[in-house]
Amino acid sequence: MKLTELFQRKEFVITSEVGPVKGCCRNGQPEFVQEAKSLKDYVHAVNVTDNQSAKMRLGSLAASVLLKNQGLEPVFQLTCRDRNRIALQSDLLSACTLGIDNVLCLTGDHLRQGDHPTAKGVFDIDSVQLLSIARSLNQGNDLMGNDLTQATDLALGAVVNPNFQPLDLQLLKMEKKLASGAQFFQTQAVYDVRLFETFARKTEDFGVPIQYGVVIIKSPQMGRFINENITGITVPQWLIDEMAAASPEQYKDKAVEITTRLLRQIGPMVQGVHFMPLGWSDVIPRVMERLRSTCQCGG
Amino acid sequence: MIATTKKLLDEILEAMAGFQKVGLVGCDGCAKVCMTGGADEVAAMAQELKKQGKDIVFEATPERTCNVVKAHPVLEPLKDKMQDTDAILVLGCGGAVQVARQLTEQYGLFKPVKSGLDSVGHMDMVVAGQVALEQCQECGECILNDTAAICPVTKCAKSLLNGPCGGSEEGKCEADPSRDCAWVLIYNRMKALGEVEKLKKFVAPKDYRKAAKPRTLYIKEGRLA
Repeated sequence: MKLTELFQRKEFVITSEVGPVKGCCRNGQPEFVQEAKSLKDYVHAVNVTDNQSAKMRLGSLAASVLLKNQGLEPVFQLTCRDRNRIALQSDLLSACTLGIDNVLCLTGDHLRQGDHPTAKGVFDIDSVQLLSIARSLNQGNDLMGNDLTQATDLALGAVVNPNFQPLDLQLLKMEKKLASGAQFFQTQAVYDVRLFETFARKTEDFGVPIQYGVVIIKSPQMGRFINENITGITVPQWLIDEMAAASPEQYKDKAVEITTRLLRQIGPMVQGVHFMPLGWSDVIPRVMERLRSTCQCGG
Repeated sequence: MIATTKKLLDEILEAMAGFQKVGLVGCDGCAKVCMTGGADEVAAMAQELKKQGKDIVFEATPERTCNVVKAHPVLEPLKDKMQDTDAILVLGCGGAVQVARQLTEQYGLFKPVKSGLDSVGHMDMVVAGQVALEQCQECGECILNDTAAICPVTKCAKSLLNGPCGGSEEGKCEADPSRDCAWVLIYNRMKALGEVEKLKKFVAPKDYRKAAKPRTLYIKEGRLA
């Protein structure tokens, strides 16, 4: 099922995210599959990250297929960091062939933060170009205009970071992604409601579905770690203080409470939510149940 | 200029192991500017190698060792001395080492030619005598006319052509927060020039044939192959 069909039906689209395991999965069911399965009744689809943070892992396509085989709807994340234009197109053909319906086109984190910092980054194509290429494949042609024996049929997603300053520059790129074929957007994690409001206001005329992205903050230490080490996300002091005021065994309850609150405030501004639970997927059912009982969005 | 850094002495000594009589060739062009291979650094290397028990047969520093026009007139008269060496150590960029090697072959000599430096990029001196920056990677398809004279191919860590990634924070680069985000620089300058609208244009994937190595330039025809 394509996410675009859900957006067309005006569904509030809920997705989560899992990171493939660092290892082979020939025997047994890996934890990330179990994690995704636990969300089956709560989300429409589950993103599968692509060697996230430039750390080498099981490929996102293979991991997406594992989820598909379990009856889950994967969103295959595809980055430009490790593949040239031939590999990207080939992987898009492969994805469609293997039954994938949704692909999220990204640039990819820089190698410097990863576990192979000595590797050569590819970056032959950027995310705007990748969207344009993926759209061509959907129309039956490759980048060079050659005919395909069978076109792909993929819903094309993209990302945007509302935290970016100057925001207008990020929106300029968002518009280019939109013009190049992006059919839905997932945002970087945002915790500043006012900031998101500004972003939502400036993008409402774009006419493209946007899912609010939220990383589940698991502890005050994690909040501080993100601020010090992860660029592009800011965890506000109020959130860190609120977590710090709780005892460690209450952190998960607190995460449920904060995430629910953020969604109540931001949910009405968007067409869906994208959770990035980083292993704490059990938070999501609790958040969704709370929202369902009190709020029309998420229902 | 082609920027260079000095190899560690141990690495040089390993490359020069077994060679007693050494000829030294520096470069009074880029390597001089980088303080890695000018006449002074060649003299210092000669002292160091003598301390290590080597014999220095000659020292030479052409004005541009990578250019046969400059290197040949200096090295050709040293043919006999070159013949007398066990190996030649070049304190110049990778191009200088290979031009020196080519000239020895041209002179009918088959001597080991070794490098004492690492070439680290085509760089521009932006703070006199202190800081050189890599700003151009000779992609063969210059887009500076469309990016306010700031090159995203080189100055963006991901060589993005259609705008910034989401990793930039407070105008700094995701890959190295000590560096400015190239796209924020481009945007601010385009804004000041009243040209932001031009950034909305889709930039197609680059034609990397123009950057495929090794390239040859036929100067009189202005032809690249």
